Amino acid sequence: MRDDLLDPRGVLLHESAGSREEAIRRCGRALVDVGAVAEPYIEAMLERERSISTYVGEGVAIPHGTAASKEDVKRDAICVVRFPDGVDWDGDQVTVCVGIAAKNDGHVPLLAALAEILLDPDRARTLREATEVHQVTKELTS
Amino acid sequence: MPARTVAVASASGLHARPAKLFVQEAARLGVPVRIRVGDGKAVPANSMLGVLSLGAVHGTEVTLESDAPDAEEALDALAGLLSRDLDAEEALDA
Repeated sequence: MRDDLLDPRGVLLHESAGSREEAIRRCGRALVDVGAVAEPYIEAMLERERSISTYVGEGVAIPHGTAASKEDVKRDAICVVRFPDGVDWDGDQVTVCVGIAAKNDGHVPLLAALAEILLDPDRARTLREATEVHQVTKELTS
Repeated sequence: MPARTVAVASASGLHARPAKLFVQEAARLGVPVRIRVGDGKAVPANSMLGVLSLGAVHGTEVTLESDAPDAEEALDALAGLLSRDLDAEEALDA
């Protein structure tokens, strides 16, 4: 597992968002802040979400840009943004967003690891209820 | 058991949008199909998390299998979907 994909500064555990769009903008901002993407990537994330929901189950969504927006990706990275009060995601309730910036396939093993975690109810709960950054980085990169 | 092995054709592999389209089609067909990579653990084709956990990228060979009565048709449909570049089709849609 590459451990350079998740910058601890990209783990935000106490956020709130009134809508799915606001939540995605927050994720996009986090990816901009860690230097992974350029500003226009945020709009591409919203465009992707409008074409198909990135909800994957277990209260988790994985917002990311469109294929055309790869030019705005400076390096592969993910961010983890937690919304303790939840966000209505087109009928599903989302507590954790894993925002993805990927130029090619570098993030796929991490995505597979995330899916493995979410398929385990106990580990999924740990991720949803994490209050410390190191809990998240440990789950995702160990 | 009826099975199909096919290389994932989508440029971005079997996650994100192509995975979602695949899972949706598997759910729509309503036939229990499982998918695996090599001799790895087979997961339900209609489970987004299961499919993501495969970590399949462009070119990864995946095997679809089902022993349901109407398996052949469903396997053909899903194998057909995997052998198309769903990312390229998105570009055409836009």
